[in-house]
Formats: sequence, structure tokens, C-alpha cells
Amino acid sequence: MKLKYILIVLLCSNLFLAQVLFAQNPRQPESGAVQKKLTLDRAVMCEGITDFAPHNPAVVFSIKIGKVFCYTSFDPVPEKTFIYHKWFHRDSPSTNKRLTLQPPRWATYSTIQLRETDKGPWRIEISDQNGKLLSILRFSITD
Amino acid sequence: MPFIQFIRWQDVVDILLNSYILFRLYVLFRGTYVFRVLTGIAFLWIFQRISAYFGLILTSWVMQGITAVLALIIIIVFRNEIRSVLQAKNLKAILWGFPQQSGPTTIQVIADSVKTLSRRRIGALIVLPAKENLDDVLQGGIPLQGLISKEMITSIFWSDNPVHDGAVIIEGDRISKVGVILPLSYKSDLPSRYATRHRAALGLAETTDALVVVVSEETGNVVVAKDSNIINIHGSTSLIKILKEHMGLHEIEGGYQQKEKFKMGIAAVISFFFITGMWVSFSKGLDTLITLEVPVEYTNRKPDFQIVDASVNTVRLHLGGSGALIRSLQPEQVQVRLDLGHAIIGRNIFSITQDNISLPPGIFLRKVVPSVVEVTLDETIKKEIPVQVDWAGELPAGLILSEINIDPDKVEVIGGKRILEKLSTIYTQKVHLDNLKESGTIFANLALTPASLNIASGSKDKVRIAYVIKPRAK
Repeated sequence: MKLKYILIVLLCSNLFLAQVLFAQNPRQPESGAVQKKLTLDRAVMCEGITDFAPHNPAVVFSIKIGKVFCYTSFDPVPEKTFIYHKWFHRDSPSTNKRLTLQPPRWATYSTIQLRETDKGPWRIEISDQNGKLLSILRFSITD
Repeated sequence: MPFIQFIRWQDVVDILLNSYILFRLYVLFRGTYVFRVLTGIAFLWIFQRISAYFGLILTSWVMQGITAVLALIIIIVFRNEIRSVLQAKNLKAILWGFPQQSGPTTIQVIADSVKTLSRRRIGALIVLPAKENLDDVLQGGIPLQGLISKEMITSIFWSDNPVHDGAVIIEGDRISKVGVILPLSYKSDLPSRYATRHRAALGLAETTDALVVVVSEETGNVVVAKDSNIINIHGSTSLIKILKEHMGLHEIEGGYQQKEKFKMGIAAVISFFFITGMWVSFSKGLDTLITLEVPVEYTNRKPDFQIVDASVNTVRLHLGGSGALIRSLQPEQVQVRLDLGHAIIGRNIFSITQDNISLPPGIFLRKVVPSVVEVTLDETIKKEIPVQVDWAGELPAGLILSEINIDPDKVEVIGGKRILEKLSTIYTQKVHLDNLKESGTIFANLALTPASLNIASGSKDKVRIAYVIKPRAK
């Protein structure tokens, strides 16, 4: 009979502990989201993307390569969100790409097909979903 | 007359100066052949202008030629007269004085001497030159340059004196020459009572403007030869009067002084009107048109305002005026100014009127093209703008420009607010890649577009570019 009471008390204690522990576990990710924010880890212009990494990052590109890429990687990505790559040719807007980011970290890129008239200085404004400017990349398209 | 309002002070000086020069020519040369020929030339010139006015091309051309040739001839033919005027008078006499060959004392001495010679029946020949030079007419003679006196004159004509047969030349208060031989008159109607001495006196008087006093050796009569006339003299008073008139001296009694003043006044007025006529003929005779492209100056702009755009930088002015004034017109004498004192930020429209155009007197505006100017103003601000390199050309094969660093990466630019608000990048001038083979540093100037932009005083207009070149990964 005594053993029976001890077992009941132990069971109740375990239930209480389990309840406390299970009650605390869901709060952990919430507190982490408050502390961490979307951070731009790397932003470069490159000639291509190979194995999810920029290939030949540079600031000047020949029009002969046909395409130019804007690579951006974010770490951390607290939640699913999206960013913008706004392309400007000599201060005139050329295109605006909306790119999705997935947690916990994400790399993405945008690209344009180069034409003869695209020669000259370019810039890309990288901003978050609220339009907050994260970085500006400057490069040139030449012969 | 419409052109009166365009008369400049220079024109007034021009007319007055030339009128005075003409007046002085009259004063210096009046009574001589030079003046008569000058008058003739003036009439020829007037005739030429009238011919030109009525379109008589040939007549006008011939008159012009004759006038030009005569002007040259007068200098050659009358060089002696011109020289005598210039040599005999000092600068003050040429510019200001009126001709007076001798003082009253000289005239009195001559009159007394003639009276004595007449009373003693001593023949005498006294020459008093006027303006013309007598060197070409006179022969012989012995230079004396002695101060005139009654005794001197009497002794010269004394019968035992070797030079008593010749004439004496009196210039000023001196006897310049004695024993001079005068040209004889060929007049056939001379009375028989006149001898060789009278014929010589008349000969000189006919050919020159000199006055010659003759005392007859036989009768003691005194005559004066002037021009082609022989005047009998009765007493010293009439001789003094004639001598004074000849020498241009004012007679105390009588209206001589008044008459001379009147003559001079008339001459001055004629000179003025003649020169005014010439001036009108030269400078106002023909209206000429000209078109000038003149830059527009914008004035009174507020310091913090900037002209962003103007529909024109220059306007075309159609101007009129006399040919002489138009030909002498300098572009810097014509200005077009627009007052921006009341202009506002944004678009302003101005009409260009006579008030905006500054022209020299005598030139008048006929038309402005365009007559309306549009000016856009903006507020001047400063803005810090990032610098970007404007690369051009092509890197050597197998190389990539992987990284650059610009110093400074931003510059402060001054310009119109509306321009700078839209401007987010300042580019460098073209930087060529073709010769870049390895990492290094270059400098590049900034290209400011539009040109109204300026680099702020604290910023540099040149940037340093450190670049990294790497081999291209395959």
C-alpha cells in the first residue's frame, strides 16, 4: 500500500514536470524570433551561379557574357519573407525583382539578359519587403 | 526730326570741333586765293551730295573725283601760301588769334615816312605783304631785317643810295628786304602820268594780295596799289586808314570793328551750318539695318536660386541706324538683360522689351526674335551623392575586375533642388579598361550632368580608384 502511494506521487510529479516542460517548449522559438532579424549576409554581382554560389564575382562585366547575376544570401531568415532587387541603368529604373526567402537561411539571385543598349553604369538596390534599403551594388556593363 | 533724339554728345563735339576748324581756315586764309578755291571745293562737294541724293550716279562720281583731286591740288599749288601762314604765326595765332600784321606804330611810321618822302619828292616803293607769299613774284633784293623807322625809310630811298630804285618789303615792324624788283603790270590803259614805279606797284598788286605804296619822284603824289586798283592818297589820314584795313587792324573810329565782328560771326554761323549739313549727310544720310545675335544676361537672381533651364541663351536683335554708326557698332555695346528679381521657383515667362535692351545712342531697335523667354528657376541646395565609376572598353581576355574602392566614395554637390532630388549617383568620366592588366590605382574626374551642378568647395572633383584584377575562373 505504501509503495502504491509512492508510485502515485512519482507519477503526479512526472505529470507536473512534463506539463511544465511542454508548456515551456513552444515559447522557445518565439523568444528567438524577437532576438534575430533578417540579415543580408552577402551581396555580389557575378557572371553566373554554380552550386548555389556566385561564379566570378566582379564589378565590371562584358556584354559578351550575355547575362549578369545579382547574388544575395541571408542568414538568418527568421521567417518566410521576400526581398526586392531593383535594377537601375544610369539612375533609370530597369526592372524590379521580388524574391522569396525561406528560414532559417536562404540564398537567392536575380538576373537580366544583356543587350547592346545596356552598356554603362548600373546599380541594384536590395531592400526588404517593407522597402527598407539593405544594400546597394554598383557595377558596369562594358564592351 | 526723329534722329535728333539719338544725337550723342560725341556728335555735338564732332560738329563743334569741325565747325571751328572750318572757321579758323576762313580766318587764316580769307582774302587769299586759297580760300576762294576752298569755297569752290565746298560747292562742288554740295553739288556731289545733291547728285547722289537724286541718284545721278555719273555726275556724283565725277564730282567726287574732282573734289578729291582739287583737295590735293590745293595743297600743291598753294603750298607757299599755306607755308607762310603756318610759318608766320605761332600755334596760338593759328588756333585762336586774328591776323594783325603790325601795330599802329608801324603804320604811323610808314605814313610819316611817306609824307616826308612826298614833301621832298623822293620816289619810293613800299610793299606791305598780306597773307600770300611773295617769294615767287619778287626778284632780287637785299635782305635787311632792320627795325622800321622814318629815317631808315627816307635814307633807303635817298637818290644816292644804290638800292633807292627798288622796293622795300615791310613785314611786321621790320624792313625785310630793300632794292627788290617788282613784276610790271601789262595793263595798257594806265594813265600817262604813271611811270615805271607805278606800273611795278600795280604789277605786284594784281598778282598778289600785297599792298604797295608809291611816292612819285616827279610830282610827290602818293598812290596805293591794291588788287587791280590804284588809289590816290590825299593826306596821311586816308593812307593810315587804307594801311589799317590792309593789315586787318581795327579802326578806332568808324564801324570797322563792328563790321569785322559781324563778318566773323557770319563766318562762324556758316561754318557751323555747313559742318552740320556735312554731318547729317555723312552720319544720317542712309539708314542701315543690322541683325545681331546677343546673349541674354540674367540679373538680380536671388543667391539661393539657380537657372535650371532657359528657352534661349541668345536673342536676335534687328537694329537700325545710320551706316556710320552701324559700322562702328561693337557687339559689347549691345546688351540684353532680364531682371530675375521678382522671378519665382519654377517656370517664369518674360517678354523682352526696349527696357531690357541697352543700345548706344543713334541705334534703334526694330525687332527682337524671340520676344518671349522662358526661364525655369530652382532653389540651390547641397547634397551628398555617391560616386560610381563609369567604366568603358574591355579588360584583356581572362581577367575580371573583381573589386574597387573609390576615395572619396561620396561628394557634396551644389545644384537645383529639383535636379538633386532626382540625382542619386555622380559618375566619373569614362575610365578605360583596355590597359588594365593588374591591380592598381587610377584617378578619374567627375562628370557633372547637367552642367548647372557644381562640386561644393569642401569636396574634390577627382576620385582615386583602387582596383583589384583577378584571373577569370573557368
